[in-house]
Amino acid sequence: MPELRKDPLIGRWVIIATDRAKRPVDFVASHDEALSPDTCPFCAGHEGETPTEIFAIRPNGGKGNGPGWTVRVIPSIKPVLRIEGQLNRHGKGMYDLMDGIGAHEVIIETPDHIPNAADLPVEHLHAALDASRIRMVDLERDPRFRYVLWFKNYGSVAGAGRIQHSRSQLIATPVTPLRVKEELVGTRRYFEDKERCLVCDLAAQERQARVRVVIDTPHILALCPFASRFPFELWIVPKRHGCDFDKLSPEELSDLAAVFKQLLSRLKAVLNDPPYNALLHTAPFRGRHTRVGYWKTIEDDYHWHFELIPRLTRVAGFEWGSGFYINPTPPEEAAKYLREAVIEEPLAHV
Amino acid sequence: MSELRRDPIIGRWNIIEADDPAGPEAFEVETHANSGGKCPFCFGNEGMTPPEIYVVRPPGGAANGPGWSLRVVANKFPALKIEGDLDRQGMGVYDWCNGVGAHEVIVETPDHNRQMADLSIAELTEVVKAFKARSLDLRGDKRLKYTLIFKNFGLSAGASLEHTHSQLIALPIVPKRVQEELRGAERYFEFRERCPYCDMLRHELQEHERVICENRSFVAICPFMSSFPFELWVLPKEHGADFAQLAPEPAGDFARILKETLLRLRTALRDPSYNFIIHSAPIERQAREEYHWHLELIPKLTKIAGFEWGTGFYINPTSPEQAATLLRDIQIG
Repeated sequence: MPELRKDPLIGRWVIIATDRAKRPVDFVASHDEALSPDTCPFCAGHEGETPTEIFAIRPNGGKGNGPGWTVRVIPSIKPVLRIEGQLNRHGKGMYDLMDGIGAHEVIIETPDHIPNAADLPVEHLHAALDASRIRMVDLERDPRFRYVLWFKNYGSVAGAGRIQHSRSQLIATPVTPLRVKEELVGTRRYFEDKERCLVCDLAAQERQARVRVVIDTPHILALCPFASRFPFELWIVPKRHGCDFDKLSPEELSDLAAVFKQLLSRLKAVLNDPPYNALLHTAPFRGRHTRVGYWKTIEDDYHWHFELIPRLTRVAGFEWGSGFYINPTPPEEAAKYLREAVIEEPLAHV
Repeated sequence: MSELRRDPIIGRWNIIEADDPAGPEAFEVETHANSGGKCPFCFGNEGMTPPEIYVVRPPGGAANGPGWSLRVVANKFPALKIEGDLDRQGMGVYDWCNGVGAHEVIVETPDHNRQMADLSIAELTEVVKAFKARSLDLRGDKRLKYTLIFKNFGLSAGASLEHTHSQLIALPIVPKRVQEELRGAERYFEFRERCPYCDMLRHELQEHERVICENRSFVAICPFMSSFPFELWVLPKEHGADFAQLAPEPAGDFARILKETLLRLRTALRDPSYNFIIHSAPIERQAREEYHWHLELIPKLTKIAGFEWGTGFYINPTSPEQAATLLRDIQIG
């Protein structure tokens, strides 16, 4: 019997097919033709082909916009939002609009032409996540912005385009995105009821049940969520309660980088190098400008986390249009496959 | 310069490229090849599907045999099953219930080589009638709360069979997007005591910038806050929350505008894959003053990536004004 499961954060129902559950072999990973390393603007030695760098890590020193870096942050070559200008909020009859102001940055995670972050040394993942954190702290200073989304696209199906060089991106927006708002509202409602954080409760329940947990380190928990929309969808949750990603501790950052490496390697092994998207949900900017509404108890009720989505099924307008998903692989089975995956350097905490 | 535009009903913001919009040539062309093999929706293969639930067949023909012009059957691989109780349960932070519901397929024609856009007005009117009849019939089932009617055309839009068909899923819950629309419409109505969709229609018909085509009962527009390039909505001019209450005359007009819109889309975008969904009120007794049923069509042209997943807002490279102009001006046969 298929099951209908409800996402406890935002209340979305998902159909989980339990009868003819799909196994990893039922999915075919597809990759388009890549740009060769010679023409890749993100490789070492091609620094001149990108906009001027915003931030870089050069362990042995060296000049800006030259080689010697391990991680490099640049403005996007094709920004979806522009950094200059005012928001110019206005209405047109029943409609509301504003100018497309925002920041769009790219975090190049390696000087070498490595497409999949699964193949990066864990130190690079660590440095890239830390660089992201530093950029987020800086972007929060801009009073025009309310949110910054960290995300990552790997493979052309997942929107990575033809440049197949491992990177993540940041987009700062002048509005709080709908998805984040829904989570804020859902977790606040739970907190009002129980005076506990929903994600803390969820993590405790998962650690007890152990059927959907994939990795459990001292600081970080990775699991296949109960109401997964997609086969092999994953969540990465810090065990210590916190609403802001940028306030994570050095120990948490180390664990997080290790967990990312583990999960990406396991996905690669189990699903034959699938395209994927990853994204971070953290509390909106509040800083110096106190804002009304759901911001009041946010530090107690919201809990930052990453979502990792392998792109295996054809998601089309239907899902976007209805907000309704059919998942052919129960998360319990997905978690089992991922736990049992054979990879080169397995972590002890599986 | 791009613009951020807000959906006046659900409050979602989208990023829309207004200055340098991407035209049809910016998107890859997908071919819809005939893959061959035995098609369960073709004449003579009726035995390959579950028994028919609804059919248009001249009098005298035997059920589940040839001679039909439209056929509704249960989905052979249903996402939900019709037997059983919901058995709602909870454990800790989680809630779930059994996947009870209906999943039906509307085979629009026995002819394998025609698309929905190729059907005659009379044939399309039968399709609309079938949508209506099946929605009304499933309403008797107390477990069900919502009927979703949709179509996937083309492989990249999720159609696993190429023979033209639409689908119906009846659910024991109201899907999230619909709930958002209902809530947003309620909020709008509370303030103004007007239906937001009626307001939108009036505004669009006055400005005419985003109107693609219209007839006596329907208007097709590219919505102001389109999430996707060439996204289009078909709205009934007369207020009505429930698609299944569509009267016979407007049903013909709906078929007419559907055909015209599909033809315009096919010509302008070189036969794109697409999805459409009929957004209608949940199964309930009273009529809603604030909700307005409509069809939303999304051509499958762009790829959804991490940003869209994370934010729930979309980057649309083609402004709806540009899309509407193109679809309006294109010459169709």
